[in-house]
Amino acid sequence: MIQRYRASAGIMLTPAVTLIGIFILLPMMLTVWLSFQDWSTQTPFSSASFVGLDNFREIFGASSVGRDFKGALTNTAIYTALSVILILPLSVAFGLMVYQHDVAGGTALRTVLFSTYMVPMIAVALAWSKLYSPSEGPLNQMLGLIGIGPQPFLSSPRSALVSIVLLNVWQQVGYFTVLAIAGLTQIPGSLYEAAKLDGANRFEQFRFITLPLMRRTLLFSAVIAIINAVQVFEPVALITQGGPVGSTNVLTYHIRRVGIERAQGGLGSAMAVMLMLSLIVVVCALFALANRKDQE
Amino acid sequence: MSFAWTSKLALAAGLAILPATAWAQSVNISYLTHWSPETVALLEAAAKDYAKANPDVSVTVRAVPFGDLLTTLRSQGGNADGPTIGGIYDLWLPELARDKLVAPAPDAVASEVKASWPAGVTSAASVGGTLYGIPNEIDVYALNYNKALFKQAGIAAPPKTWDEFKDAAKKLTNKEAGQQGFGMINSWAAGVVHPFASLLVSNGGELVKDGTPVLDSQQAAQTFQLYEDLIKSGASVPAMATADANTTGPFLDNFVSGKTGMIIMANWWESALKTGMGDKFADIATAPIPVGPSGDKPHSISYSWMTVVNANAGAAEQKAAWEFLAWLNNPKSGKNGASAMSDILMSMGILPSRLSDIEAHKEKLGSEFLSGYVSVLADAKPFPVVPGGQEFSESLQQTLEALQYGQVSAKDAQATAQADATSILERAAK
Amino acid sequence: MSRGSSSRLPRKRPSGRKALLATLMLLVAVASAFPLVWMVLSSLKTPAESMQVPPVWIPHTPSLDAYEKVSGVVNVGRSMWNSLVIASITTAGILITSMMAGYAFAKYHFPAKSLLFSLLIATMFLPPIVTLIPLYRLVGSIGLNASLAGIIVPNLANAFGIFLMRQFISGVPDDLIDAARMDGASELLILFKIVAPSVAPAIAALALFAFVYHWNSYLWPLTVLQGNADAYPIVISLSRLLSYNRGAVNTGLVMAGATLAVLPPLILFVLLQRFFVDSIVGSAIKG
Repeated sequence: MIQRYRASAGIMLTPAVTLIGIFILLPMMLTVWLSFQDWSTQTPFSSASFVGLDNFREIFGASSVGRDFKGALTNTAIYTALSVILILPLSVAFGLMVYQHDVAGGTALRTVLFSTYMVPMIAVALAWSKLYSPSEGPLNQMLGLIGIGPQPFLSSPRSALVSIVLLNVWQQVGYFTVLAIAGLTQIPGSLYEAAKLDGANRFEQFRFITLPLMRRTLLFSAVIAIINAVQVFEPVALITQGGPVGSTNVLTYHIRRVGIERAQGGLGSAMAVMLMLSLIVVVCALFALANRKDQE
Repeated sequence: MSFAWTSKLALAAGLAILPATAWAQSVNISYLTHWSPETVALLEAAAKDYAKANPDVSVTVRAVPFGDLLTTLRSQGGNADGPTIGGIYDLWLPELARDKLVAPAPDAVASEVKASWPAGVTSAASVGGTLYGIPNEIDVYALNYNKALFKQAGIAAPPKTWDEFKDAAKKLTNKEAGQQGFGMINSWAAGVVHPFASLLVSNGGELVKDGTPVLDSQQAAQTFQLYEDLIKSGASVPAMATADANTTGPFLDNFVSGKTGMIIMANWWESALKTGMGDKFADIATAPIPVGPSGDKPHSISYSWMTVVNANAGAAEQKAAWEFLAWLNNPKSGKNGASAMSDILMSMGILPSRLSDIEAHKEKLGSEFLSGYVSVLADAKPFPVVPGGQEFSESLQQTLEALQYGQVSAKDAQATAQADATSILERAAK
Repeated sequence: MSRGSSSRLPRKRPSGRKALLATLMLLVAVASAFPLVWMVLSSLKTPAESMQVPPVWIPHTPSLDAYEKVSGVVNVGRSMWNSLVIASITTAGILITSMMAGYAFAKYHFPAKSLLFSLLIATMFLPPIVTLIPLYRLVGSIGLNASLAGIIVPNLANAFGIFLMRQFISGVPDDLIDAARMDGASELLILFKIVAPSVAPAIAALALFAFVYHWNSYLWPLTVLQGNADAYPIVISLSRLLSYNRGAVNTGLVMAGATLAVLPPLILFVLLQRFFVDSIVGSAIKG
């Protein structure tokens, strides 16, 4: 009997495991291997030659290769941090708005918020590039109405990256709102009743019940938001091309440019490995932090 | 992998049992370009003409945005399914040839090209004396200026020297009206580097000499300084200079809407200006690049485009591709002694480079806008075609943008540019 | 949504607060909808209107010219069809592979099960750029470059689907499965005839997620297609519109194209949002 199910397990797992093995795990191992090789992306894998840590030395070196990579790493870090910092509180606030029962329209709000997440990023990028347009765009016009002068948005190295963060937050916040709602439904109503009997006000209820019990949800949201943020590509590829002055040059765009456009497969793979390591470190740190809090 | 092999074997077996006549019809070649859809339509029409006399060959056109063209050419590497023909920027040729992605031109094509094109253009399409494709378009940079704005500012003639240039830029600047004197470009490598290089060569300098960068020269120092002066005086506003992945965007919009007095751009943007400006296009004129203190006379930067053939395509496809290209660039394929290729190029305001095409399009090339470009062609210096050229160009772009946005001084920019260029070109030469 | 009355937030509060809350909610909804509304409005403007300063909000004479022009510039029908083919086949593949693997992880015991599961789940957190460089070389070497198959094949299985299916199939009672086994049903038959119907909502949710995700996906098709316009999905054709006539006055055109690309996933979502939301909530709670 057991034997029979072992065979069945094999049959059931083969399609998924083969596909994921060939198209995700194998390329991942190849990326790691290539990061120690000198390899032109146009040539077969067999033409790679081992160069030790040279690629890593170069991408952290003082030459333009190193400067561009370090810039892209920093930009990605800023972009990711800003995205998470904006998305998490907004998602909780919007989640509370949808979840409350005092004012009708919560579900409608959820639909509107979540629908932006369903839209192709390329369309979002195109629409926002027109919203941000310095003179013909409505954003500067609206800012003008409340007495704020025209902003350069995508045209200045000081504001371009933040402008792309805003576009990303706008698109993704609906998804995280739904995650927040999922977290809110997990909190037993009796806790609020008890708190009210103890005379806790609304802020205290939020601070001492909602927030602590949402920690797992927020941790999950933070991890997903980080993974999503490092994937930003379309608005950069289509609108800013990493500029001005490299201020929006983020890793997904830069790695593709180096590894495929310039065909420097070894350097590009080393950059991809660094991205992977950074992600592992950040996510582990987040979990460690959450665990320590749990123990406290 | 074995699956693909099996299917290929099955396909080969299937083809083998077909009658021989079926073979003759089966040459499919594809042509990769970055042209806009309406230009692609013209190319498709030409391919249809060709098919009338050559029913056994069918040409399909693939098009990608300019920003993806090189990536697409690169990623076809080692792959027979990639496009058979590619339209490329000559700067990319050395690396494509080094990696054996493009095929040398057959002797018949090579000898015709050598006889019918200017020597400079032929050499830009060659690596180590071997010709790799058929040149078609040539682009050159010149000063475009808005006559209406010049009149308003009381400037009689386009500036001839850098002093006149700076003076004009200052007069054309009107901060309240959001108007800048001279428009720079950023976020697009060629758009950043070519105008700078045009000013540099008009100051007697060069980017690269005998394969080594010479951005440490006195002439280059003066050119970096000119940029810093223009930015510091407010005569050039970097926030008005952005370009997008399709080489359009605010820099173009600002010139079109009369917010930019002067700009250094290439002839090919004529069609964009015409569409954007309508009747006001008549306000735009072309003048030679202003001459710097160390320069002798106006020079420009030129670059050319060519069509190459995928070295990994099948022998029959390669042969058909060269035959199609030879026809497309031949004086008999277009109207009135012009080639079909030159007719397509002229529809975009692009200068053809074949001598007989320049002759055939004489009238249109004499227009006010284009004649300014044709006249500077003789003294133009080709943008250096060296391995690593694209990366060199992108790193110089970064440095110039930092200068535009006031992040570095002219002196530091010069030092960085020279150091980066040296290391990039050394690595690429290995 | 399971939203028991016991878990509601407190009810009593002054009505001024209600008004404030209602205003806030309205503001959030308007801000959220605004960019897409602007996109649709811009697609109806004349070229002159979209260049006007200050911007025109409501087009004076709404026209569908831009939509007509889009189909002259890129092959909208073909691209939509390509997108449909890519999204549908990929979705079907993901459903089959995820249900099979999810069933195995939920209902079988086999050696190294949790190790294999963790390994698969780890790929869920891997940004695609990390594998992009070797992957496109790999796909090229099996002859799938520049084709729809090249877009589809690498995506036929994914960790999220396996995870979601395992979560939901775990909830299917073992008795149900054992009873079918007693009747001599094969395991595949049990999966598709007995298990699948009892997790139908989760399957629907996964189908919609996969469909929308692959309808919208850009980076991989762009990399693998190498300019083969015949195989362009609509999102890539859309990026071509920007280069139409090298720029100039084409805002309306681009916005019309964007609107066309946005419509299918948006309509699907509005019709079937119940499944989307429930499955996110479900996977978050159970995960």
